Amino acid sequence: MKPELKSALITGLLGGLVVFLFGGWSAAVLGVLIGIVIGLSNGSRFNRNDGFEKLFKQALPNALWTALIFVIVSLVENYVIAPAAGKSPSPIGIMLAANLIGGLGLVLFASVVTALHGLEPRWEKIGKIALLAVLVTAFPFIDSWTGLRWTANVIFALIFVILGLGLNIVVGFAGLLDLGYAAFFAIGAYTTGILSSPQHNIYLNFWLVIWLAAGMAAIWGLILGAPTLPLRGDYLAIVTLGFGEIIPVVFKNLIDVTIKEPLTCWVIPGIQSLFGVTSNLKCIVLAEHLDLTAGERGINPIGRPVLPLVGEFQSDNPIPWYFLIIGIILLSVFLIRRLHDSRLGRAWMAIREDELAAAQMGIDPVRTKLLAFAMGATFSGFAGAFYAAYIRGIFPSVFDFSASIMILCVIVLGGLGSVNGVIVGGLILMTADRLFLPALKDLLTGLMRTTILPGLEAWPGVQDAVAQNANPILYRFLLFGMTLVIMMAIRPEGLLPSAEVRAELHAAEEQAGPVESGNGPASGNGAGGKA
Amino acid sequence: MKSPRMRFVRPVLAILVIYLVLLIGPIASLDFPNIYASVTANPLQLVQFLFIGLANGAIVAIIALGYTMVYGIIELINFAHGDVYMIGVFTALTTLSLVGALTTNNPGHIALGIFIALLVAIAVAAALNATIERLAYRRLRNAPRLAPLISAIGMSFIVENIGLIWAAQSWLVPLFGTTGGGAQKEFPDLLTRMFVSLGLDPNLLAGTGWGLRFTIKDLLVIVLAGMLMIGLRLFIQNTRLGKAMRATAQNRDAARMLGIDIDRVITATFLIGGGLAGAAGLMAGLYNNNAWWFMGFRAGLQSFTAAVLGGIGNITGAMLGGFLIGLLAAFSDGYLNARWTNMWVFATLVLILLFRPTGLLGEQVGQKA
Repeated sequence: MKPELKSALITGLLGGLVVFLFGGWSAAVLGVLIGIVIGLSNGSRFNRNDGFEKLFKQALPNALWTALIFVIVSLVENYVIAPAAGKSPSPIGIMLAANLIGGLGLVLFASVVTALHGLEPRWEKIGKIALLAVLVTAFPFIDSWTGLRWTANVIFALIFVILGLGLNIVVGFAGLLDLGYAAFFAIGAYTTGILSSPQHNIYLNFWLVIWLAAGMAAIWGLILGAPTLPLRGDYLAIVTLGFGEIIPVVFKNLIDVTIKEPLTCWVIPGIQSLFGVTSNLKCIVLAEHLDLTAGERGINPIGRPVLPLVGEFQSDNPIPWYFLIIGIILLSVFLIRRLHDSRLGRAWMAIREDELAAAQMGIDPVRTKLLAFAMGATFSGFAGAFYAAYIRGIFPSVFDFSASIMILCVIVLGGLGSVNGVIVGGLILMTADRLFLPALKDLLTGLMRTTILPGLEAWPGVQDAVAQNANPILYRFLLFGMTLVIMMAIRPEGLLPSAEVRAELHAAEEQAGPVESGNGPASGNGAGGKA
Repeated sequence: MKSPRMRFVRPVLAILVIYLVLLIGPIASLDFPNIYASVTANPLQLVQFLFIGLANGAIVAIIALGYTMVYGIIELINFAHGDVYMIGVFTALTTLSLVGALTTNNPGHIALGIFIALLVAIAVAAALNATIERLAYRRLRNAPRLAPLISAIGMSFIVENIGLIWAAQSWLVPLFGTTGGGAQKEFPDLLTRMFVSLGLDPNLLAGTGWGLRFTIKDLLVIVLAGMLMIGLRLFIQNTRLGKAMRATAQNRDAARMLGIDIDRVITATFLIGGGLAGAAGLMAGLYNNNAWWFMGFRAGLQSFTAAVLGGIGNITGAMLGGFLIGLLAAFSDGYLNARWTNMWVFATLVLILLFRPTGLLGEQVGQKA
């Protein structure tokens, strides 16, 4: 089979598979998305010097095949699988329109984006950015018009994108494995919660609180980063893991805070009573039975942002929230790119490569590492503030170990040290988690109910067991763990790696390869056998 | 090095820190007047917490052995080790359920069931630990530092969620019930039941009138842990494989040159560590009477602290550290508040790493820490 046809088959089937789960208008949205992905990934396959028109023509057949397969899968889903799973198929009008738009969109975008590679680099960049801007702006409107209701879930994915961008500074740039990053997310969210909710009757404006949350997270980044400075590798990982475990526990337990000044309350009275002296020293009480965080009940409702033209952001209209978080991401990406190229950013990378050598070259490791923790934490402060305002309630269990691992997964999947990679990784992983798995669960449960389960009537025990386990949500975190292990084994540099990290990883392999070849090569082709 | 200014700054800093602890400590139940009052009110309680601490410390020590052995040999924290212990608890409970020991009152049946569960838990946990090494660590042995660490944390997450899925299988263990996988499950108190059905009092100190409890459970845990530790020590000191393990820990390349099969030694280390975690799983289940998919995480943090406290890579140190952490946890549970125990254990870890990273007995393997 020709390679183009093969890749067309794979992308078409994959895209069709997603349409499988959602049906209806999703075909239109996904068709366009797949087209862009194909276009971008085609960039390296064709000769850039052929120019716009030639590239367009070259990409067209492949795109047509993909679109055909995509539409066929989509139709099979609607008229064969959906009825079998007990769902009613989408009406024929929607089906026709959605598949027409999806198929044509796929062909058009795949060819146009591929052809963009034939333009001059400057125009290519402008074209891509313009295309991206139009799509990002149009997405929530298309989404609400077609009734897909994906925006709310995409917002969650975008929260994790910000968190990933922040963690990427610590892990990707500075090479400090932080396994408790959700702690700073929690600090940002709780700062917002405490400063704009009825819990303490403080109602600060969201636009102020988001900066306070970021600042608070940065301060705690310094405080929690300071004790880890002498540690490296494993020890650093486990200490940050511990911080990540402790901070939610602290938030959970700060429900009855009593602070008495120790000198006046019992040190001096204790000494006095030893000598039999009596005095009327006043005990200074700073706080008594203060419920700081409401424990497991959580803080709610938390104040929402207000803008002049939009008014107060509402829970049932995700569009303002969407643009708010896109704005935060744009700001973050801008800042992080500037940081990456700055003197500090280069110092981080030097520390990552070799701390001793960097210190010899005049980089202050203490200052550099502390700034990495503080800067990384700042962005999770933004994310925490947004999350608190968006959800309107925060609970300590949200910020536990699994949240830290999910954020780590985002950057490992996307590519350590790569800003674009983190964005893509976050979008893929979190939309898979919040959209794909629940839809897959619905489909599977439906299919099971109509196909396998009735056949097992005779053995109710087996029937129960099958019904319990045919639930992808149950395997949700398992998939996150597998992402980490598999990525490390197959592609440790991530999907969209930054050039430096890729070079570093492969250089290490080349050096270690020949010497240790008999003993589990690092290149990981499953050939780790004995010599 | 020490300027006169530093000589002045240090004590001031120390006083400030002590003052801060006194000021903020009470939030985390570190309230000295209260503690003093409860100790003087019932001094025998101190002995009671000592018993609890020893029994829990024995379990922590057994898990810590697995951390310290693996770290000694490949210098990697096996993050999944605590979760292997959790799988040990689940395996033991499932085996007990399958052999029918959960529902019977016949002491012989229960004793036999516990013995089988011990063997199965050891076998399953050992096999799991060796599989983890094979799948996640072996091919990354020469990769940059970050890669095996991330792989290890991923493995930990995978094993944790195998536990979560396991805990949802009510058809396998009826006790798991229909409350879903996330909730804590009961691990029946079989030893007490066995003793009661034999007509004995499970509390060995019942006749003394001191009001203390030292039950058959405490005795079994401490004795079994002691046997495992002595067995491991003899194995490492006297067998050929034990010698190969020590040699690999000292210098892997030199050991390979002398003809030691490194892969085999590492697999053996993971097998032994996993087996110990499996045994600890059964012991913890019988002692604390609960099973939870997340229990491995906390136990892992505690036993890793114990391993570091004793001096990582040092087997005697891990035992000592385990008992110390068990005592710390017991006293914190008793006199402070159980909610904050993990925080104090963890604070200990940070303090040791900052001020004495080689641990209490760390000199013997100084270059490892």
